[in-house]
Amino acid sequence: MTAESATATELAPTEGKYVYCIIRNDRSREFGEIGIGSGSRVYTISHKDLSAVVSDTPIVIYDPTRENVLAHEFVNETVMREFTLIPMSFGTVFRSENDVLALLKSTYQAFTDVLDKMQDKIEFGLKILWDRDKVVAAIERDNDEIRRLKDEITRNAASSTYFARMQLGRLVEAAMEEASNRYVTDVHEQLKSCSVASRSNKVIGDRMILNAAFLVDRKDEKAFDERVKAISLHYEDLLTFKYTGPWPPYNFVNIKLKLEKAT
Amino acid sequence: MGLLTNILLAPFLGPIWGTRFTLDKVDRAVREQLTDDTPIKEDLMELQLRLENGEIDDAEYARQEAEIMQRLRDVREWRERFGMSVGGGPVRVAESDESE
Repeated sequence: MTAESATATELAPTEGKYVYCIIRNDRSREFGEIGIGSGSRVYTISHKDLSAVVSDTPIVIYDPTRENVLAHEFVNETVMREFTLIPMSFGTVFRSENDVLALLKSTYQAFTDVLDKMQDKIEFGLKILWDRDKVVAAIERDNDEIRRLKDEITRNAASSTYFARMQLGRLVEAAMEEASNRYVTDVHEQLKSCSVASRSNKVIGDRMILNAAFLVDRKDEKAFDERVKAISLHYEDLLTFKYTGPWPPYNFVNIKLKLEKAT
Repeated sequence: MGLLTNILLAPFLGPIWGTRFTLDKVDRAVREQLTDDTPIKEDLMELQLRLENGEIDDAEYARQEAEIMQRLRDVREWRERFGMSVGGGPVRVAESDESE
Protein backbone atom coordinates (compact mmCIF):
# COMPACT_ATOMS: atom_id res chain seq x y z
CA MET A 1 0.00 0.00 0.00
CA THR A 2 1.34 3.42 -0.84
CA ALA A 3 1.78 5.99 1.87
CA GLU A 4 -1.01 8.02 0.41
CA SER A 5 -3.65 5.31 0.48
CA ALA A 6 -2.52 4.17 3.93
CA THR A 7 -3.27 7.64 5.18
CA ALA A 8 -6.63 7.54 3.49
CA THR A 9 -7.38 4.30 5.32
CA GLU A 10 -6.57 5.84 8.67
CA LEU A 11 -8.66 8.89 8.03
CA ALA A 12 -11.68 7.03 6.71
CA PRO A 13 -14.34 6.57 9.37
CA THR A 14 -15.35 2.99 10.20
CA GLU A 15 -18.87 3.50 9.04
CA GLY A 16 -18.99 1.44 5.86
CA LYS A 17 -20.35 -2.08 5.61
CA TYR A 18 -18.41 -4.82 3.85
CA VAL A 19 -20.95 -7.35 2.53
CA TYR A 20 -19.89 -11.01 2.32
CA CYS A 21 -23.09 -12.78 1.36
CA ILE A 22 -26.88 -12.88 1.50
CA ILE A 23 -28.69 -15.55 3.51
CA ARG A 24 -32.24 -16.42 4.48
CA ASN A 25 -32.48 -15.39 8.12
CA ASP A 26 -34.77 -13.03 10.01
CA ARG A 27 -32.98 -12.72 13.35
CA SER A 28 -29.87 -10.84 14.26
CA ARG A 29 -26.88 -13.18 14.13
CA GLU A 30 -23.21 -12.96 15.08
CA PHE A 31 -20.48 -14.93 13.35
CA GLY A 32 -17.49 -13.88 15.44
CA GLU A 33 -14.63 -11.43 15.03
CA ILE A 34 -13.42 -12.76 11.70
CA GLY A 35 -14.07 -9.79 9.38
CA ILE A 36 -11.81 -8.57 6.62
CA GLY A 37 -9.23 -5.99 7.62
CA SER A 38 -8.59 -6.35 11.30
CA GLY A 39 -10.92 -9.15 12.35
CA SER A 40 -13.90 -6.99 13.02
CA ARG A 41 -17.22 -8.39 14.18
CA VAL A 42 -19.31 -10.15 11.53
CA TYR A 43 -23.04 -9.74 11.94
CA THR A 44 -26.29 -9.44 9.99
CA ILE A 45 -28.43 -6.64 8.61
CA SER A 46 -31.93 -7.95 7.91
CA HIS A 47 -34.93 -7.07 5.81
CA LYS A 48 -37.92 -9.43 6.21
CA ASP A 49 -36.51 -12.96 5.94
CA LEU A 50 -33.27 -11.96 4.19
CA SER A 51 -30.01 -10.94 5.82
CA ALA A 52 -26.79 -9.48 4.54
CA VAL A 53 -23.75 -10.78 6.40
CA VAL A 54 -21.50 -7.76 6.99
CA SER A 55 -18.70 -6.26 9.01
CA ASP A 56 -17.89 -2.60 9.69
CA THR A 57 -15.16 -1.19 7.52
CA PRO A 58 -13.58 2.08 6.59
CA ILE A 59 -14.62 3.24 3.11
CA VAL A 60 -11.65 1.81 1.24
CA ILE A 61 -10.89 -0.26 -1.80
CA TYR A 62 -9.68 -3.68 -0.74
CA ASP A 63 -6.85 -5.12 -2.82
CA PRO A 64 -7.46 -8.78 -3.69
CA THR A 65 -4.40 -9.91 -1.75
CA ARG A 66 -4.27 -13.50 -0.60
CA GLU A 67 -4.84 -12.36 2.97
CA ASN A 68 -7.93 -10.32 2.09
CA VAL A 69 -9.41 -12.94 -0.22
CA LEU A 70 -8.89 -15.66 2.38
CA ALA A 71 -10.62 -13.47 5.01
CA HIS A 72 -13.59 -12.99 2.66
CA GLU A 73 -13.74 -16.71 1.93
CA PHE A 74 -13.34 -17.68 5.58
CA VAL A 75 -16.42 -15.67 6.55
CA ASN A 76 -18.44 -17.33 3.79
CA GLU A 77 -17.21 -20.78 4.82
CA THR A 78 -18.25 -20.05 8.40
CA VAL A 79 -21.72 -18.85 7.39
CA MET A 80 -22.07 -21.80 5.02
CA ARG A 81 -21.96 -24.31 7.86
CA GLU A 82 -25.46 -23.18 8.79
CA PHE A 83 -26.92 -21.39 5.79
CA THR A 84 -27.36 -21.55 2.05
CA LEU A 85 -25.78 -18.36 0.85
CA ILE A 86 -25.43 -16.08 -2.15
CA PRO A 87 -21.82 -14.88 -2.17
CA MET A 88 -21.11 -11.22 -2.95
CA SER A 89 -18.16 -10.22 -5.10
CA PHE A 90 -14.94 -9.63 -3.25
CA GLY A 91 -14.54 -6.04 -2.09
CA THR A 92 -18.19 -4.95 -2.05
CA VAL A 93 -18.48 -2.04 0.38
CA PHE A 94 -21.58 0.02 1.12
CA ARG A 95 -21.51 3.39 2.83
CA SER A 96 -24.14 2.69 5.45
CA GLU A 97 -26.62 0.23 6.90
CA ASN A 98 -29.34 2.03 4.96
CA ASP A 99 -27.55 1.38 1.67
CA VAL A 100 -27.36 -2.34 2.54
CA LEU A 101 -31.08 -2.34 3.37
CA ALA A 102 -31.76 -0.68 0.03
CA LEU A 103 -29.94 -3.57 -1.68
CA LEU A 104 -31.98 -6.18 0.21
CA LYS A 105 -35.25 -4.38 -0.58
CA SER A 106 -34.59 -3.72 -4.24
CA THR A 107 -33.23 -7.20 -4.97
CA TYR A 108 -35.51 -9.11 -2.59
CA GLN A 109 -37.25 -11.20 -5.24
CA ALA A 110 -34.10 -12.15 -7.16
CA PHE A 111 -32.25 -13.09 -3.95
CA THR A 112 -35.21 -15.19 -2.83
CA ASP A 113 -35.42 -17.02 -6.16
CA VAL A 114 -31.71 -17.80 -6.20
CA LEU A 115 -31.71 -18.92 -2.57
CA ASP A 116 -34.52 -21.33 -3.42
CA LYS A 117 -32.56 -22.69 -6.36
CA MET A 118 -29.33 -22.97 -4.38
CA GLN A 119 -30.96 -24.52 -1.32
CA ASP A 120 -28.61 -27.29 -0.07
CA LYS A 121 -26.28 -26.95 -3.05
CA ILE A 122 -22.54 -26.65 -2.67
CA GLU A 123 -19.71 -26.09 -5.06
CA PHE A 124 -16.52 -28.04 -5.58
CA GLY A 125 -13.54 -26.91 -7.56
CA LEU A 126 -11.55 -29.34 -9.67
CA LYS A 127 -8.35 -28.39 -11.42
CA ILE A 128 -6.42 -30.98 -13.37
CA LEU A 129 -2.74 -30.53 -14.18
CA TRP A 130 -0.74 -32.85 -16.32
CA ASP A 131 2.87 -33.76 -16.43
CA ARG A 132 3.82 -33.11 -20.05
CA ASP A 133 6.79 -35.49 -20.04
CA LYS A 134 4.72 -38.38 -18.74
CA VAL A 135 1.90 -37.70 -21.17
CA VAL A 136 4.36 -37.54 -24.07
CA ALA A 137 5.91 -40.82 -22.91
CA ALA A 138 2.47 -42.44 -22.78
CA ILE A 139 1.65 -41.14 -26.25
CA GLU A 140 4.93 -42.44 -27.68
CA ARG A 141 4.17 -45.80 -26.14
CA ASP A 142 0.59 -46.05 -27.39
CA ASN A 143 0.63 -44.32 -30.76
CA ASP A 144 2.11 -46.58 -33.48
CA GLU A 145 2.72 -43.86 -36.02
CA ILE A 146 4.52 -41.62 -33.55
CA ARG A 147 6.59 -44.50 -32.20
CA ARG A 148 7.65 -45.57 -35.68
CA LEU A 149 8.61 -42.04 -36.71
CA LYS A 150 10.55 -41.53 -33.52
CA ASP A 151 12.42 -44.82 -33.90
CA GLU A 152 13.31 -43.84 -37.41
CA ILE A 153 14.66 -40.48 -36.35
CA THR A 154 16.70 -42.01 -33.54
CA ARG A 155 18.11 -44.74 -35.79
CA ASN A 156 19.19 -42.32 -38.49
CA ALA A 157 20.08 -39.45 -36.22
CA ALA A 158 22.54 -38.00 -38.69
CA SER A 159 20.44 -38.26 -41.79
CA SER A 160 16.99 -37.70 -40.31
CA THR A 161 15.55 -34.61 -41.82
CA TYR A 162 14.34 -31.45 -40.26
CA PHE A 163 10.96 -32.26 -41.77
CA ALA A 164 10.71 -35.64 -40.09
CA ARG A 165 11.34 -33.94 -36.77
CA MET A 166 8.80 -31.26 -37.59
CA GLN A 167 6.28 -33.89 -38.48
CA LEU A 168 6.93 -35.75 -35.24
CA GLY A 169 6.43 -32.55 -33.28
CA ARG A 170 3.15 -31.86 -35.01
CA LEU A 171 1.89 -35.39 -34.46
CA VAL A 172 2.78 -35.28 -30.77
CA GLU A 173 1.06 -31.88 -30.35
CA ALA A 174 -2.10 -33.18 -31.98
CA ALA A 175 -2.04 -36.38 -29.94
CA MET A 176 -1.61 -34.35 -26.76
CA GLU A 177 -4.56 -32.16 -27.55
CA GLU A 178 -6.60 -35.23 -28.29
CA ALA A 179 -5.49 -36.82 -25.00
CA SER A 180 -6.35 -33.68 -23.05
CA ASN A 181 -9.84 -33.62 -24.56
CA ARG A 182 -10.28 -37.29 -23.81
CA TYR A 183 -9.28 -36.92 -20.14
CA VAL A 184 -11.49 -33.87 -19.65
CA THR A 185 -14.50 -35.49 -21.31
CA ASP A 186 -14.03 -38.63 -19.27
CA VAL A 187 -13.89 -36.70 -15.98
CA HIS A 188 -17.01 -34.68 -16.87
CA GLU A 189 -18.80 -37.85 -17.94
CA GLN A 190 -17.99 -39.65 -14.71
CA LEU A 191 -19.04 -36.75 -12.49
CA LYS A 192 -22.25 -35.94 -14.32
CA SER A 193 -24.48 -38.36 -12.41
CA CYS A 194 -23.54 -36.97 -8.98
CA SER A 195 -23.53 -33.25 -9.78
CA VAL A 196 -26.27 -30.77 -10.70
CA ALA A 197 -24.23 -28.61 -13.04
CA SER A 198 -20.67 -27.84 -14.02
CA ARG A 199 -18.79 -24.91 -15.42
CA SER A 200 -15.41 -24.84 -17.08
CA ASN A 201 -13.27 -21.78 -16.50
CA LYS A 202 -10.21 -20.69 -18.39
CA VAL A 203 -7.18 -22.81 -17.54
CA ILE A 204 -4.33 -21.15 -15.65
CA GLY A 205 -0.71 -21.66 -16.63
CA ASP A 206 0.57 -24.18 -19.16
CA ARG A 207 0.17 -27.40 -17.17
CA MET A 208 -3.55 -27.14 -16.51
CA ILE A 209 -6.04 -28.97 -18.71
CA LEU A 210 -9.19 -28.48 -16.65
CA ASN A 211 -10.36 -25.70 -14.35
CA ALA A 212 -13.92 -26.56 -13.48
CA ALA A 213 -16.53 -25.94 -10.82
CA PHE A 214 -19.25 -28.45 -10.00
CA LEU A 215 -22.53 -27.73 -8.29
CA VAL A 216 -23.44 -30.63 -6.03
CA ASP A 217 -26.46 -31.43 -3.90
CA ARG A 218 -25.47 -31.81 -0.26
CA LYS A 219 -26.95 -35.29 -0.22
CA ASP A 220 -24.62 -36.32 -3.06
CA GLU A 221 -21.52 -34.83 -1.46
CA LYS A 222 -20.14 -38.19 -0.37
CA ALA A 223 -20.80 -39.84 -3.71
CA PHE A 224 -19.16 -36.95 -5.57
CA ASP A 225 -16.20 -37.05 -3.23
CA GLU A 226 -15.68 -40.78 -3.71
CA ARG A 227 -16.01 -40.49 -7.47
CA VAL A 228 -13.38 -37.74 -7.66
CA LYS A 229 -11.01 -39.83 -5.55
CA ALA A 230 -11.57 -42.88 -7.76
CA ILE A 231 -10.90 -40.91 -10.95
CA SER A 232 -7.78 -39.28 -9.57
CA LEU A 233 -6.50 -42.72 -8.54
CA HIS A 234 -7.18 -44.03 -12.02
CA TYR A 235 -5.14 -41.23 -13.58
CA GLU A 236 -2.54 -40.85 -10.84
CA ASP A 237 0.41 -41.65 -13.10
CA LEU A 238 -0.41 -38.91 -15.59
CA LEU A 239 -2.52 -36.24 -13.93
CA THR A 240 -2.55 -34.21 -10.75
CA PHE A 241 -5.99 -33.43 -9.33
CA LYS A 242 -6.56 -30.32 -7.24
CA TYR A 243 -9.86 -30.78 -5.54
CA THR A 244 -11.27 -28.05 -3.29
CA GLY A 245 -14.48 -27.30 -1.45
CA PRO A 246 -17.17 -27.27 -0.38
CA TRP A 247 -17.51 -23.67 -1.51
CA PRO A 248 -20.50 -21.38 -1.72
CA PRO A 249 -21.84 -21.50 -5.29
CA TYR A 250 -19.50 -18.76 -6.55
CA ASN A 251 -19.65 -20.01 -10.14
CA PHE A 252 -23.37 -20.66 -10.33
CA VAL A 253 -24.96 -17.52 -8.98
CA ASN A 254 -25.24 -14.78 -11.49
CA ILE A 255 -27.37 -11.92 -10.27
CA LYS A 256 -26.57 -8.72 -12.04
CA LEU A 257 -26.82 -6.21 -9.22
CA LYS A 258 -27.58 -2.68 -10.24
CA LEU A 259 -24.95 -0.94 -8.20
CA GLU A 260 -23.31 2.36 -8.78
CA LYS A 261 -20.39 4.12 -7.26
CA ALA A 262 -21.38 5.87 -4.06
CA THR A 263 -19.91 9.34 -3.93
CA MET B 1 -21.31 16.88 -52.75
CA GLY B 2 -19.55 15.20 -49.84
CA LEU B 3 -18.35 12.26 -51.86
CA LEU B 4 -17.21 14.43 -54.71
CA THR B 5 -15.31 16.67 -52.35
CA ASN B 6 -13.56 13.64 -50.97
CA ILE B 7 -12.53 12.45 -54.36
CA LEU B 8 -11.44 15.88 -55.54
CA LEU B 9 -9.49 16.63 -52.44
CA ALA B 10 -8.24 13.11 -51.98
CA PRO B 11 -4.54 13.81 -52.48
CA PHE B 12 -4.64 16.41 -49.78
CA LEU B 13 -7.03 14.87 -47.32
CA GLY B 14 -6.03 11.28 -47.83
CA PRO B 15 -2.84 11.17 -45.84
CA ILE B 16 -4.25 13.27 -43.02
CA TRP B 17 -7.25 11.03 -42.68
CA GLY B 18 -5.03 8.05 -42.82
CA THR B 19 -2.91 9.34 -40.01
CA ARG B 20 -5.84 10.28 -37.89
CA PHE B 21 -7.41 6.87 -38.36
CA THR B 22 -4.21 5.12 -37.31
CA LEU B 23 -3.78 7.34 -34.27
CA ASP B 24 -7.34 6.66 -33.29
CA LYS B 25 -6.74 2.93 -33.54
CA VAL B 26 -3.53 3.11 -31.57
CA ASP B 27 -5.24 5.21 -28.96
CA ARG B 28 -7.98 2.62 -28.62
CA ALA B 29 -5.49 -0.23 -28.38
CA VAL B 30 -3.47 1.54 -25.73
CA ARG B 31 -6.59 2.45 -23.86
CA GLU B 32 -7.81 -1.12 -23.88
CA GLN B 33 -4.48 -2.29 -22.58
CA LEU B 34 -4.44 0.31 -19.84
CA THR B 35 -7.95 -0.48 -18.66
CA ASP B 36 -8.11 -4.28 -18.95
CA ASP B 37 -7.40 -6.10 -15.70
CA THR B 38 -8.11 -9.59 -17.07
CA PRO B 39 -4.47 -10.49 -17.81
CA ILE B 40 -3.44 -9.15 -14.40
CA LYS B 41 -6.03 -11.31 -12.66
CA GLU B 42 -4.78 -14.29 -14.64
CA ASP B 43 -1.25 -13.55 -13.48
CA LEU B 44 -2.53 -13.44 -9.91
CA MET B 45 -4.24 -16.83 -10.28
CA GLU B 46 -1.12 -18.30 -11.81
CA LEU B 47 0.98 -16.92 -8.97
CA GLN B 48 -1.39 -18.49 -6.47
CA LEU B 49 -1.12 -21.82 -8.26
CA ARG B 50 2.66 -21.65 -8.16
CA LEU B 51 2.53 -21.07 -4.41
CA GLU B 52 0.17 -24.02 -3.96
CA ASN B 53 2.45 -26.22 -6.05
CA GLY B 54 5.43 -25.25 -3.91
CA GLU B 55 7.24 -23.69 -6.87
CA ILE B 56 7.71 -20.42 -4.95
CA ASP B 57 7.87 -19.62 -1.25
CA ASP B 58 5.79 -17.17 0.77
CA ALA B 59 8.35 -14.39 0.48
CA GLU B 60 8.50 -14.65 -3.31
CA TYR B 61 4.73 -14.79 -3.42
CA ALA B 62 4.44 -11.63 -1.32
CA ARG B 63 6.93 -9.82 -3.54
CA GLN B 64 5.15 -10.68 -6.77
CA GLU B 65 1.72 -10.14 -5.25
CA ALA B 66 2.69 -6.59 -4.33
CA GLU B 67 3.66 -5.95 -7.95
CA ILE B 68 0.37 -7.34 -9.22
CA MET B 69 -1.61 -5.24 -6.72
CA GLN B 70 0.16 -2.15 -8.00
CA ARG B 71 -0.74 -3.06 -11.58
CA LEU B 72 -4.39 -3.55 -10.54
CA ARG B 73 -4.39 -0.16 -8.85
CA ASP B 74 -2.93 1.43 -11.98
CA VAL B 75 -5.68 -0.10 -14.12
CA ARG B 76 -8.31 1.11 -11.67
CA GLU B 77 -6.88 4.59 -11.88
CA TRP B 78 -6.95 4.58 -15.68
CA ARG B 79 -10.51 3.26 -15.69
CA GLU B 80 -11.56 6.07 -13.40
CA ARG B 81 -9.78 8.56 -15.60
CA PHE B 82 -11.68 7.26 -18.66
CA GLY B 83 -14.94 7.27 -16.71
CA MET B 84 -15.28 3.48 -16.78
CA SER B 85 -16.76 1.30 -14.03
CA VAL B 86 -14.37 0.04 -11.37
CA GLY B 87 -14.56 -2.89 -8.99
CA GLY B 88 -14.22 -2.22 -5.27
CA GLY B 89 -14.88 0.97 -3.38
CA PRO B 90 -18.19 2.06 -1.96
CA VAL B 91 -21.31 1.22 -3.95
CA ARG B 92 -25.03 1.72 -3.58
CA VAL B 93 -28.14 0.53 -5.37
CA ALA B 94 -28.38 2.42 -8.64
CA GLU B 95 -31.34 4.75 -8.88
CA SER B 96 -31.55 4.38 -12.62
CA ASP B 97 -30.05 2.29 -15.41
CA GLU B 98 -27.89 5.18 -16.49
CA SER B 99 -24.92 4.01 -14.51
CA GLU B 100 -24.07 1.27 -17.02
